[in-house]
Amino acid sequence: MQQPVVNTSYETSSVKQFIAEVWILFRIQFSIIREQWPLIFILASIFPFATLMFLHFFTINPTEAMIIRIITGNMLFALIIMGMNVMAQEISFQKHQGHFTFYASLPIEKVNFIFANLLRGMIVSFPSFFIMAFVGQWVYGITFSFSFWLIPFVTLTILSVVGLGVFLGFWSPNMQLTNLLVQGLMMIISFMTPVLVEMSQLPIVLQWFSYLVPTTYAAAGLRDLLAVGFTYSVGQNMLMLLLYTLVSYTLILKKIHWRKEG
Amino acid sequence: MDQQPLFEVRNVSKTYKKGKVKANEGISFTINEGEILGLLGPNGAGKSTLIKQIVAHVKPTEGEVIYKGRNVVEQNKRVAREVAYYSQEPHALTSLKVREAIYYSGRLRGMKRKPALEETAKLLEELELTEVANKLLKNISGGQKRLTGIGTTLIGGAGVYIFDEPTNELDPKKRRLVWDLIQQRNRKGATVILVTHNILEAEQVVDRVAVINHGRLLAINHVTELKGEVDQRLKCEITTNGAASVALTDELAGWGTLTPLSDNRSRLLISKEGAPTLLNILNKYEEVKSYSIVPPSLEDVYFHIDNEEKSLQTQKGEVNEYAATGG
Repeated sequence: MQQPVVNTSYETSSVKQFIAEVWILFRIQFSIIREQWPLIFILASIFPFATLMFLHFFTINPTEAMIIRIITGNMLFALIIMGMNVMAQEISFQKHQGHFTFYASLPIEKVNFIFANLLRGMIVSFPSFFIMAFVGQWVYGITFSFSFWLIPFVTLTILSVVGLGVFLGFWSPNMQLTNLLVQGLMMIISFMTPVLVEMSQLPIVLQWFSYLVPTTYAAAGLRDLLAVGFTYSVGQNMLMLLLYTLVSYTLILKKIHWRKEG
Repeated sequence: MDQQPLFEVRNVSKTYKKGKVKANEGISFTINEGEILGLLGPNGAGKSTLIKQIVAHVKPTEGEVIYKGRNVVEQNKRVAREVAYYSQEPHALTSLKVREAIYYSGRLRGMKRKPALEETAKLLEELELTEVANKLLKNISGGQKRLTGIGTTLIGGAGVYIFDEPTNELDPKKRRLVWDLIQQRNRKGATVILVTHNILEAEQVVDRVAVINHGRLLAINHVTELKGEVDQRLKCEITTNGAASVALTDELAGWGTLTPLSDNRSRLLISKEGAPTLLNILNKYEEVKSYSIVPPSLEDVYFHIDNEEKSLQTQKGEVNEYAATGG
């Protein structure tokens, strides 16, 4: 009997294959939104922009601390929409449409697929996040102190929120439930945790809940970083964000199976 | 010395909802290297679940699937590398161009850039997709999407191909094209598992056939041997002017199960010895427009096995009912 056809043109370097896999998976993921990206981006920015303007019209003579809270809160609001909502709904859609069957039938590492999704989440979240910073400065007439530490801090902030979105998308038992859950979570995290309001103004139950979501640490660190630059407290918040990123990443890897469904 | 089978499906069962829903039950068979095995059965028979168990996408509740001597679940990445699986699920790459979809699939199977580009160009030509190569998958026809899916499965030169209903939505010319490509790969040594309910087409391609219904394996054998099981009978297809009369139906009922094919066409399996008498009967009725008597096809084998299974289930049901009523 003849031997099966064996293609000898395979990549032998595992590093090259890793890079190729992540890059191709990212391009596939990015292709899903490449045509609607400007629209998604505008729609995702409208909500925080409207909130920013609403608070601008609503507050009379706000203090600088209030202004920074409003602007950073809306930057995070934009991130929650793009990084958590859009990512969770998009991945949930792919899951329930059976797209994972295609990926699972290829010899790719799940970690690379997740990494490609995190990368896509970061790229789509980045513009809204920064536009809110610049629009906020312009509307309120203040100037932030931009430092080198902003780069790792923002990266960790986006990764932790996107990680939550990716996890919810992979976990999704059905699309309707996921949509409802992320819409609800978006409102709760944005308005009932210390993203736009002070921790001390919240009831004790919401204060406890706030410690469980990464945006609490992101908001606190971002306020300090943009107002005075890197401080010990910013470092602590960065560590918390790193921890959230690692936990969400580990949970996705360990708990979500795309082959051998139970 | 006997050749070790490529796959061994050992007493595989899958239940959902704490055992309330059975997707399949106690399935055992082997798949040999270099053969084309057809999995036949109606929609919802459990074929796709079985395939997902074979490629380790679904873990059996009981039993195991062995690939080259080891459980597929323990080596699911190797299975993904060596077994190319074409599923019925909507394509994940609909936002890509046809060319990109095939090329990326090759790269994700570990191919280097240049060979992947070359094989993509070859497959686009073989699958007659060159004209739409730069169109997005979501903007091409359903048939072209299917062909692109087949391209993404064929690229990378896996040793085993599993196709789940590959010719759905394809016109006859494109169907022929797909069967030719599958046979071509098989001639080069590849093993093929073909899931289909299109028995007439499968007959032209497969070496062995496994018949599945209600999640159970009803029969597995070479096509010729399966045909041999009903070979003592002939297939008689009768066309009448309008619906058959009660008199004709009653007379034919004595010869076996009359299977209606349409309003005025029916099929009957008869013994070779009985053929002359049946012809006399048919000639007697003016309403009989035409008839033909031919040896059975794989389709007849399938219906024969399925009917036998149904009557067995009915008998079991009657026995259970009898026992339950204290008979």
